[in-house]
Order: sequence, then C-alpha cells, then structure tokens
Amino acid sequence: MTLHAQVRTQLGSLRLDCDLSVESDVTVAVLGPNGAGKTTLLRVVAGLTPVDEGRVEVDGTVFEDTATRTWLTPEARRVGFVFQDHGLFPHLSVLDNVAFGLRARGVDRATAHARANEWLERVDLTRHVASRPSALSAGESQRAALARALVTDPEVLLLDEPLAAVDASGRLELRRALRRHLATFTGVRLVVTHDPLEAASLAERVVVLEDGRITQEGPFTEVSSRPRSAWIARMAGLNLLRGVVSDGTMVVDDGSGLTVATGIQGPALATIQPRAVALYRQAPEGSPRNVLRCMVTGVDPEGDRWRIRLEGPFPLVAEVTPAAAAELRLAEGGEVFAVVKATEVDVYAL
Amino acid sequence: MTRGVTRRPLLGLVIPAAVAVLFIALPLIGLLVHVDWSNLPSQLVSTDVLTALRLSIECSLIAVAIALVIGVPLAYLLARTSLPARRVIRGLVTLPLVLPPVVGGIALQAALGRTTPIGTVLDHFGIVLPFSTAGAAIAEAFVGFPFLVITVEAGLRQRDDHFEEVAATLGARPWRRFWRVTLPLAAPSIAAGAALCWARALGEFGATITFAGSFPGTTETLPIAAYSSFEGSGQIGEAITLSLLLLAISVLVLVVLRDRWLGALR
Repeated sequence: MTLHAQVRTQLGSLRLDCDLSVESDVTVAVLGPNGAGKTTLLRVVAGLTPVDEGRVEVDGTVFEDTATRTWLTPEARRVGFVFQDHGLFPHLSVLDNVAFGLRARGVDRATAHARANEWLERVDLTRHVASRPSALSAGESQRAALARALVTDPEVLLLDEPLAAVDASGRLELRRALRRHLATFTGVRLVVTHDPLEAASLAERVVVLEDGRITQEGPFTEVSSRPRSAWIARMAGLNLLRGVVSDGTMVVDDGSGLTVATGIQGPALATIQPRAVALYRQAPEGSPRNVLRCMVTGVDPEGDRWRIRLEGPFPLVAEVTPAAAAELRLAEGGEVFAVVKATEVDVYAL
Repeated sequence: MTRGVTRRPLLGLVIPAAVAVLFIALPLIGLLVHVDWSNLPSQLVSTDVLTALRLSIECSLIAVAIALVIGVPLAYLLARTSLPARRVIRGLVTLPLVLPPVVGGIALQAALGRTTPIGTVLDHFGIVLPFSTAGAAIAEAFVGFPFLVITVEAGLRQRDDHFEEVAATLGARPWRRFWRVTLPLAAPSIAAGAALCWARALGEFGATITFAGSFPGTTETLPIAAYSSFEGSGQIGEAITLSLLLLAISVLVLVVLRDRWLGALR
C-alpha cells in the first residue's frame, strides 16, 4: 500500500509545498520544528484541510485531486487519525468512543461493542471500559485514541505528536507500546513529531519538514549523520545507533560492539552527543572507553564548533573546536581515533 | 490585602449602592409581608389559581418547544457557519430582548391577525391564533426564544469544531456528527437556554395580553391573572398569592441556573 501526497497550499503565513510518498512496509516520521506544517500535512491527508493545489492518493483511490476537482469527504476516506490531544469525546464512555467509528460505518451495536472490547483488551484498558475519558491518564487516553483509530481497520494511520501529552515518566513505556501496535498495523503509518528521538524510535524512515518544505528524507541515521539544514543538525545531529545490549555491550546493527554503562538488556537505541566524541591522532590508552578507528568523510565548519563526519564501524559525528580541528589536522580522507566514554552513551530500551 | 488603600470603600459610593440593594429587596420584602399566610394554602388550590397555573405551564412549555425546534438550528448556524447576514440576523434575534413586549404583541397581531394574509390562510384551515391558547404560546415564544438562541450560540462557541472533525475522521456523516457529537456537547447550554426561555415565557405579560388577550382558562396566564385580579377587584390578596407563586418559580430557576447561566453568557 502506498500513500502519495502532493500538496501546495497557503495557510496563513505558511506555504506548504511538498511531495510525499509513504509505503506501508515501514513507519514514516515527519520530523520538523513547530509551525513547519506537519499537522497541516496530516489534516490534508485526512481531508480536514483542503489544498489549493495537489493530489492525495492511496493505492489508486484518489482522496483529492485539484486537477480533476476530485474530493473525498473525511468520512469517506479510510484514515485513522490520532490527534495530539487524542480527541476522545468527553460525553461518551471509553467503550463508546472506541465503538464510535464502527457505529458510524453501520456496524450494529452489539458487534461494535464486541470489537471495541477486543481492542480495549489489546491496549490494556479493560479496566476503563465504562470510564469517561476524563478519568484516564494521558497514556491511557492515548491508547484509547489509538484503539479508536485502529478498530475501523483504516488504510492509513496518522499520529500527530503521539507522545506530546504524556509526561516524561510514562513516555518510555508508551513509546514501547506504540511501537508494538504500529508494528502489527499493515497500512500506511505516518507519525508527526518534533522530537528526533521519538522519530528515531518509532519510525524506520524520517521525512524532515521545515517551513512547509521537505528538506531531507531517509533512514534516521543517515539524516542525523548528514544533516542538510541547521535545524536538523542541531536537533537530530546527535549520533544515533540501534542495536542489542547484553551485559554492558551493545552490538550495533552492523555487527560492531560498543561498551555502554547501562543495566538495560535487549534491543535498544543509543545516542551520543557529537561533543562527547573526542578525536585523537593516536589510539589512546585506558578504559572504559570505546576507541573507534575512523576515516574523516566531512568537515563542516559551523561557528565555534566544527562538525566532523566520520566513517568507522558505524557513521559518527564529532564536534570539536576550530583550534582542535587545526591541531588534529583534520581533513577529508584522514584517519583519526574517535573515543567515546561508556558513560557518554545514552541508552534507551526499545 | 483588605487593608490596601484601594480596598477601602468610598463612602460616597456605599450609600447609592445600599439604596440599590434596598431597591431590589424592599418590594420583595413587601410582597412577603403582605402574604396572607393563613389563607395561602386555600388560595393556592382555588380553581382560578390552578387554572391560571395550568395554562401558564402549558403555554410556556409549548413556547420552549417552539424555541428549541427553531432556536437551536439558528444558534448552530450562527455559531458554526459564515452566514452572509450573520450580524444582521443576530441583531434581529436579540431585538425581542429590548423590544417593549406590547410592541411585540402588536407586531404579532399585525402579522398573524385574522385579517392579515397569513391569518386568512390559517383561518381557512380553522386555525385562529389571536386570542387563543396557541396565540399565547406564540407570543411567549416570540419573547423568550432569543434567550435560548443567545445561550446556545455562546455554548457552541465555547468549543470549536474539533470534536466534529474527530467524528468525521471516524467515518461519521454530517447528520450523525450533529446528533451524536454537536448536540450532546451543547446539551448543558441548551438546557440553560431552555430554562431561561421558559422563565421568560412564564412571566410574559405584555406581548401575550396584546396578542392573546386575557380570557380565563384560554389565555389568562399567571401574570395576567395576577394583574386582572388586582385591577378588577382592587383586592391585593389574590394578586399577591399569584405573585408569590411566580417569585418562587423565578428563585428556583435562578438557583438551578446560578452557575450555568453566568457560565454560558460569559
């Protein structure tokens, strides 16, 4: 299944102008600063915001095409939308909220309730079947909204800042649950977020949207190691690795090992701040340190911190002062040793 | 902060303010003082009072029903769409609030009287509005329904159409969105508006007496009965009993709506 969206539209001072293709085999994150048009893009796909010019199509079904004046109403599109505020109807019980979409599509009450109950079980909300949404925690309400969007078996699932309303303590667990549910969903999955870590942990592919335009897209590691804009360099320009941790060693996806200081076991995401990567001409002694032999593949002078792109066991970005860069005689193609303390590797369980 | 210099009351304002409070309270106290408490129960259940009460409740409930059927759709359109003449319509709707009720009654007479085009057509079907119970209900609806429209519109404006959008993404068509989302969410303001409209209809005098007259059992509602008994016999006793009844109902509405009313109109 594939979603194609070509969107050109003026919304206030924002000019949204982007072409987006999303395959259903991977989860795609639209990553960008606030006000970049991310939510508008989702609203266009759902049919809540009409476009001045463009075309939205899912597997041959044309949702909207300004050239042929085609427009499907939101209710005629098979799209599940999890809103940033979750949008649970305050006057309905959790069960009736989840059953709402089925009832609206003509499913009888008993069947709708049975299927809604199944989903509430799946998202672990059976305790709250009869509760009003106001009685739910942010995490529970997010799960209820997800169940409500998925119960109708949509072709496209849209999530707008899914973890924004959840406090930091509940985020890890919820992110894990969300990943699990996203993995079981076979349709097109599009997640909007301004948080690079969220994008990296929920999605396999990242589309960077800035000021209404797509500035970069690809796997997160590629986007973060070769940022093409100042925002993405600042926000996502941290080194991000995916792998499996066992007993203080993380085996990165490409097979190389990394010493980490964590009690986490199993699949994990690791981030390393570029400024925590120290560079040496000679391999230094001492542990617990990770010493990685790398080749310099790029030097980006950016103010008083230079970004050094490295190719080693895995791609890595270091940030050094111009003085250090000069002293190390860093140049493209040169060899350096990148050193990362185990304590500088932040590990997040997946 | 009660000792702050700006919190010290200006004596020059205290006196008129006290007069204002007395101005409201004294007549009500006077009413209570003149109530013939010993005869009150027997007066309350006298057939005249009961007839007027029954008629009042009948007419005011019909007025509320009319207001709901036509007022809620209007409030919805005013709140949620960009009707071209929205400002004009809103002004028109609020006009009965400030219009002298007698003028309303005369206007209704001019529009729906037996000799008018509409009246002739209605007459043809055997329907006569002026000086009928139906006419009394229509006069009350005319005066009361702006309260409903204004309250419901304010209630709808408090929320944007976010939940309707959510319902649309879940596959709900426009009518289903209206019945299952818009109306239930607006229910508190509809209830408040209906109660205000009902209270206004119940106390309606000017438009009703002008358009429907004062025929005991047909159009003589409580306020009209109170006035007629006072006017006719010069006896204040029964008028006071009827007034007390209306006062009790008003206080009840006020207590029930204390929070809602202020909330919805804010």
